[in-house]
Amino acid sequence: MKNTGRPVPFRPIRNKQHWTWRLAACLLLCLSAATARAQLTIEIIGGGADQIPITILPLADEEKFQQRISQIVAADLARSGRFRLQEIGSVRPLPSEPPEVNYRYWKNRGSQTLVIGKVAARSDGKVEIRFRMLDTVKENQTLGYAYTVVVPQMRAIAHKIADIIYEKLTGESGVFSTRIAYVAQFPKRFELHVADADGENSQFILAHKEPIISPAWSPDGTRIAYVSFEQRRSIIFIHNLVDGTRRVLAAYDGINSSPAWAPDGNRLAIALSKDGVSQIYMINADGSGVTRLTNSNAIDIEPSFAPDGKSILFTSDRGGSPQIYRMSTAGGGVERMTFEGSYNVTPRYSPDGKSFAFIQRAQGRYGLAIMDLNTRQVQVLTDTPLNGSPTFAPNGRLILYASIVGGHGILAAVSSDGRIKQKITASAQDVREPAWGPLVGNR
Amino acid sequence: MKQILVAVCVALLVVGCGTKGGTQGQKAAIEQRDLFEQKDKQTADDAAKQAKIQQEQDELKKQLEEQKRRQEEAARKAAEAEQPVVKPLAEAGVTGKSLNDPATMLKDASSPLSKRSIYYDFDAYNIKDEFQSLVEAHSKFLQEHKEFKVRVEGNCDERGSREYNLALGQRRADSVKRAMTLLGVPPKQIETVSFGSEKPKALGHDEEAWGENRRSDIVYIGIDTQQ
Repeated sequence: MKNTGRPVPFRPIRNKQHWTWRLAACLLLCLSAATARAQLTIEIIGGGADQIPITILPLADEEKFQQRISQIVAADLARSGRFRLQEIGSVRPLPSEPPEVNYRYWKNRGSQTLVIGKVAARSDGKVEIRFRMLDTVKENQTLGYAYTVVVPQMRAIAHKIADIIYEKLTGESGVFSTRIAYVAQFPKRFELHVADADGENSQFILAHKEPIISPAWSPDGTRIAYVSFEQRRSIIFIHNLVDGTRRVLAAYDGINSSPAWAPDGNRLAIALSKDGVSQIYMINADGSGVTRLTNSNAIDIEPSFAPDGKSILFTSDRGGSPQIYRMSTAGGGVERMTFEGSYNVTPRYSPDGKSFAFIQRAQGRYGLAIMDLNTRQVQVLTDTPLNGSPTFAPNGRLILYASIVGGHGILAAVSSDGRIKQKITASAQDVREPAWGPLVGNR
Repeated sequence: MKQILVAVCVALLVVGCGTKGGTQGQKAAIEQRDLFEQKDKQTADDAAKQAKIQQEQDELKKQLEEQKRRQEEAARKAAEAEQPVVKPLAEAGVTGKSLNDPATMLKDASSPLSKRSIYYDFDAYNIKDEFQSLVEAHSKFLQEHKEFKVRVEGNCDERGSREYNLALGQRRADSVKRAMTLLGVPPKQIETVSFGSEKPKALGHDEEAWGENRRSDIVYIGIDTQQ
């Protein structure tokens, strides 16, 4: 996808019948500042070992703008749990260009990496943001970039800078520029939201009094498939985030469930009960070409594509209890994957295809677990009783999931090694059904 | 059937392990042993569960057959005794307003028809004995009042997977429909829908709420619904 870091505009759907909801929602938003943006608050609970020390200095003149670049970058890196942000100390003035840097001073303060830069308003109304990452041991520049953007893009650029730093220091892709979808539940309304990965800029793309579940991002990040009960039964829609239009993907008799995009973005695996009990089918993204993949007289549901598109994980109770199975994308070669316990559901392939996350019931608790596909070892990553709907960050490092804590629906995230934990709450509402969007844009 | 399933599973496992690269021979052998150990235990568990489901299904079938037999016997006895049968009178319009208005019957708290909910065990969709009479009462009513239609709404508790629960709720609703059609209700009088765990009646997060939410509701269209 050719997205140059410009945020894709979301608009609530233009469908006429939803105008009332738009109006009602707008009214509510105006009335209540607390729920006005339904922002998420992300709290880090655990921290990884071997955190990388880093010093991020305020960029010169950034305080003249509402979005302070260095604070957004620092918050992103801190939230990942993989960095230890160093105090900036009291020495002034702070450097903004390499010749001004006293490398030895910053090295002695404990970090090999120093980030400096400046923000400057241009005569054409745009803003130039320059940043450099310096090595205080080698006393040279590791990398540096300049961006010219309009003011509303400053936040996006900050995430991009965080991604670049993260990638350079960890060797993995940063996911700070990605977005997440989730469902917010109010007393008489459900809203499907899209937010930045840090929980900011949350806005709804669909609001209705009936439930919305199973959001799934297309691989290019331009569409979300989901199941809406707005017609008092489950129907799968595909919602275009770019122009705000949407259409029905599947509305067959019985259930229409579990949309999962194939990696090519042209087809989806879905679950339908039109021929009896829920089975897995393949369908083109335009709703044509429905073909049946499974042939059991048991529940087959929750398909998840391998990143190479060659196999599908799914849940089935064909063995007497719900367990996770794998089959080829053509539908053959079914292999049972889980054997411990009587309830293993919601498989989600990791982005590298080497493991999968799922929900495992043990001692009455519904834990988020991960299975290594090579060793078949299972690790339970959570210690809370009610968890569901896992979704991998596109770099595979974190798994976002839904949890019920203190009687409220919250989102939480855990690193795939179980070390870093985040709790994500939204004020005065329940949140659930997270779906982490793909990496988009080029850097 | 069970044996065949087990055999297929074992065969798949063997094939799965066998296809691993030769360089990993030792590792694969260890994995294979572990998997077989787990498999034996799990197969026993699953077989027991399967047997339980089968037993429950058999019991339901037996009950339905018994019900049918009793109905047939009653009809035969009535015919032998040459007693007047109620049904032709109703068709002749003799019931009139003096008899119970069917809509009132549905709402009469003393009637078994006023009960509309069937409850389930966790991850189960079989109709338990205690709800057989409820299903029979509604089936009888629907056969006698062809102008009525019902929607069976399947629900689940919040635990586990929303998607699996959606499928389970559909199975719950479908199993009620199947029982009713076996009792003689024309299928076109019954529609089914699953709300999965999305429309919980009880909002708590405890066993009491979960028990209330593992439920199928028989909803009379036009009586229980607004339209």
